Amino acid sequence: MKLGIDEYAHLGSPLHRWDSRFKFIGLMALIFAFSFVQDLRMLPAVVVVTCTIYIISGLPGSFMMTRLRYPSFFLLVVVLLLPFLSGHTIVMSIGPLDLRQEGLVAVLLIATRFLSILTIGLVLFGTAPFLTTIKAMRALGLPAILTDMAFLSFRYLGEIGGDLQRMETSMRLRGFHERRFSRHGFAILAWLGGSILVRSYERSEWVYKAMIMRGYGQATRPRDEFHASSYDITVLCVALVLASGFVAGDMLLGHG
Amino acid sequence: MHIPDGFLPATVCAAGYVAAVPVTWYSLRKINQRQNPREDIPKASVLTAAFFVVSWIHIPVPPASVHLVLNGLLGAVLGYFAFPAILIGLFFQAVMFQHGGLTTLGVNALLMGLPAFLSYYIFRIRNVLRKDSKVMTGIFGFLAGFVGLGVSVALFVVILLNFIPADFDIATERTAIYTLALAHLPLMVIEGVFTALVTVFLQRVRPKLLDSV
Repeated sequence: MKLGIDEYAHLGSPLHRWDSRFKFIGLMALIFAFSFVQDLRMLPAVVVVTCTIYIISGLPGSFMMTRLRYPSFFLLVVVLLLPFLSGHTIVMSIGPLDLRQEGLVAVLLIATRFLSILTIGLVLFGTAPFLTTIKAMRALGLPAILTDMAFLSFRYLGEIGGDLQRMETSMRLRGFHERRFSRHGFAILAWLGGSILVRSYERSEWVYKAMIMRGYGQATRPRDEFHASSYDITVLCVALVLASGFVAGDMLLGHG
Repeated sequence: MHIPDGFLPATVCAAGYVAAVPVTWYSLRKINQRQNPREDIPKASVLTAAFFVVSWIHIPVPPASVHLVLNGLLGAVLGYFAFPAILIGLFFQAVMFQHGGLTTLGVNALLMGLPAFLSYYIFRIRNVLRKDSKVMTGIFGFLAGFVGLGVSVALFVVILLNFIPADFDIATERTAIYTLALAHLPLMVIEGVFTALVTVFLQRVRPKLLDSV
């Protein structure tokens, strides 16, 4: 099973070369600054900065489009509902439905923030191997238990996902119709879930023993994997100035 | 049922992170107090991945199909590991599937994780009564799943209606609450029954798993 968020991590763009710790701080600051924006006049700047960062990252447009497939469903629900449900100022009537100004404004704000944050998130996690980003988070002070759990969960996600695919295929080959609802079918799906948990638990016992054999839990000297250069610090400063600019701009325009 | 990026103002997102920190700290403290926390971490991690995968199973609810949330089952099986597991699961979902969000990670973790704690305590009542009884396991498994999702839905509705940047009138808000509650009621029953069936299955096949972490 391929999860593929970092399939373009090998490219050599300026953002790929940026130290993962600094990239995490800089782009997360930008993401939070985008969510701070409440004034419509700030949205063009949000879009321009987002597009520029994505272009600089060198990630292909198809990568973005495939990643948009699932979240676009939520966006569609918001676009279809909010303009008719939110606000009082009626702009236009379509049959029995009233299109409201406040709802349209809310849709524009939510959709722009949503797409911009999603794009920056893709750049953050798509321009470095996923495990390197987790290591960077550990270097920034994320508790060891959380990073250990994240490493191990990520390591076994693909394998357990493969187990599920194989078990579902063999169930279908034996005549199980997963699209039809029945009490018996529901119980079989629950047992499938239970079997995945039991298999994983058994696997976890082997994993623990293998880890102990390799010295898991022994005190080790932390390896300094990240080396910041003046380039990393400069790019971080640019990202932080941009993020502060969005917050200050929104406050100056009367929000925040 | 996760809140995506861009829907909540930055202050609420930041408050979500701030509130998630003490809950995470409390969970990690409880984990570190265990007899052998080092042994439990690989088990909890592999089970976290397994729960994530189990939530991909399509449950047919004609004319469509649904995915289960499983926070009740997570609470019942993983105990204090449930909150970190949910945090990691939501992080993976946001990063790999763009489901949920990075800014809303704290809020979503609280939405799913606090009810998981509640489910854990509900499921533990079974230990006080008759631990080996399959009926008791089924009943408390159902309650853990039902309550876990129910409380998550309630928190989700409250946060979304209060903080989404839209101006709803009282009648619309009330209709939205009733609609969401009614729409989720069958899902809560499905989640409860699924949790009951899985916990009874685990008790029959691998009872150790219900008391492992």
